Amino acid sequence: MTSLIDIVSFPSRREEAWKYTPVDEIVASLRDAVAGAAPPVSPSTVDELAGDLGCPRLVFVNGVFVPDASDCVLPDGVILDLTPGKRQRREDVDGFRALNNAAPTDTANLVVRADVAVPEAIHLVHLSAPSDLRTVSHPRTVVDVGEGARVALVETYGGLPGPAFTNASTTIRAGREAAVDHVRIQSEGDETVHVGHTLVEQGAASTTRLTSVMIGADIARHALDVRLAGPDAGADLDGLYLPARRQRHDNVVTVDHTASGGRSAQRYLGVVDDHGRGSFSGHVIVRAGTVGNDATQVNRNLVLTKTAEADTRPWLEIFADDVRCTHGATVGRLDDDALFYLRSRGIPVAVGRAMLIDAFIREIVDDITDAALRSHLANVMAAR
Amino acid sequence: MLCIDGLTVSVGAKAILNGLDLEVATGEVHVIMGPNGAGKTTLANVLAGHDGYDVDGRVTFDGLDLLTLTPEARAAAGLFLAFQHPVEIPGVGNMYFLRTAVNAVREQQGLPEVAAREFLTLARDQMAVLGMDPAFLTRFVNDGFSGGEKKRNEILQMSLLEPRLAVLDETDSGLDIDALRAVADGIERLRSPERSFVIITHHRRLLEDVRPDRVHVLNGGRIVRSGDHRLAVELEASGYGPTLAAAPA
Repeated sequence: MTSLIDIVSFPSRREEAWKYTPVDEIVASLRDAVAGAAPPVSPSTVDELAGDLGCPRLVFVNGVFVPDASDCVLPDGVILDLTPGKRQRREDVDGFRALNNAAPTDTANLVVRADVAVPEAIHLVHLSAPSDLRTVSHPRTVVDVGEGARVALVETYGGLPGPAFTNASTTIRAGREAAVDHVRIQSEGDETVHVGHTLVEQGAASTTRLTSVMIGADIARHALDVRLAGPDAGADLDGLYLPARRQRHDNVVTVDHTASGGRSAQRYLGVVDDHGRGSFSGHVIVRAGTVGNDATQVNRNLVLTKTAEADTRPWLEIFADDVRCTHGATVGRLDDDALFYLRSRGIPVAVGRAMLIDAFIREIVDDITDAALRSHLANVMAAR
Repeated sequence: MLCIDGLTVSVGAKAILNGLDLEVATGEVHVIMGPNGAGKTTLANVLAGHDGYDVDGRVTFDGLDLLTLTPEARAAAGLFLAFQHPVEIPGVGNMYFLRTAVNAVREQQGLPEVAAREFLTLARDQMAVLGMDPAFLTRFVNDGFSGGEKKRNEILQMSLLEPRLAVLDETDSGLDIDALRAVADGIERLRSPERSFVIITHHRRLLEDVRPDRVHVLNGGRIVRSGDHRLAVELEASGYGPTLAAAPA
């Protein structure tokens, strides 16, 4: 590992996709990090850190599968394989992904057979258990969803207290007419650096709902690449990021319409408090030769203090004529008139602020269909 | 109950209230009339605790130094402001808002919380009296409400919070006959020897249903004339002109 880290090349802030991310700081913490063994973790600790969603749960600690904390009885038609065989394709691989590919991680390879409608969600939990030294893990998830299959996946990244580095990679391949609901929650400990990449490749007429929630870590970046490779595919990309204290949350979303008749809708909402910084870069590509693509992008930010910062950057590359593409971004403050109205009814200022923040993000929270997950999220947000 | 003594309010260099005095005894209904820009809404906002004003003078409410209290503490002490322009709050459910408000006030008063089911019954009963469709409970606070629906929602909040002093800022403006009657009925039902009202209005119509104890004319940031309910009749007949001409500048 030490040798590999010296060979791979890391991105620089001069690259558009890393513009807002303190990549030098991230690389420096990665160089200091050491691999960690997997200490025993009890199911109740997992419940606390990742929620008990009442569905099959696969738990990985420091990249190692922990059967004792997992509930491995998977529904019919879903197959798990832990061997690190399938990896992300080598194209576009930066230093972080190269390290993830090379790491001897237990990989969550899930296969959903064609035409299987999986009746319950599958929860993938990646925990870091740091020692005194910064502990690195390279969680890797690869999900193949067969033609006409339907599945809901929840990925949670959490951790025990201490300095950690999480370098995560997820690949989801949705076959023709498959439907995938994927919720990714990053609620790691406050000394964690998190670099995550999710690649979604969609076949013809497949649909996905991809929800990313960033709550934890010190510095966190999540890149979501969606490739609508087959015609008439659709993707709803929802995001919430809630940096507070001195947290940084960077979202880099790319939707690549390489086929015709695709539909994508990006909707990312940020609430930035204290000295936090949040960013959203939304990249839409509509390839030449395609027709009838529809891409929308919305990014709204609520900035709660004078020292909080939100950056938003739409980046549209449209190479086709027959296309509908809209985008809009706002950065605003809490509505003082609304807050006064609530207070004038006896509602304490802190409660009133929380009500208005909940109101701001509820359109995304309400669209998370799993009630147990919504309740877990509410607890995590309340505990911040 | 309410004693305003030499209240001076300005925004930046602009003086809005200039040494206003007003005393409202327990159980009384006072009406404040006056031309646009006289400072009526500013008075209501300052009483409710809106910031953004430079305030001087003294206001006591049930013996409390009102101006030192936060807006929520004023509400807990029994002060209620019916807004001239109720604020729309998309994303906050009306039912949740009303129950949070009632329980927040009860908590500050040391009273136990009202459970959700019990509160729902309470709210539905009050809405029936006000002629409000219970569907308004499931909507967001004032979001997309018509003018009349917003004002009814203000009266609903007043009915549920049962304040000691209600300040109504042009609650009767822009209402049709039915909504006006619902508002008037709402006030009349809450009227009691323990509760006082300060009603800011431009129209005598409301006062046919709600007979005030005192009527005041506010102009240039102070009260220039006071009388009984007949003053409102006189003002409607003759306008503010004669009153303002006779008043000391």
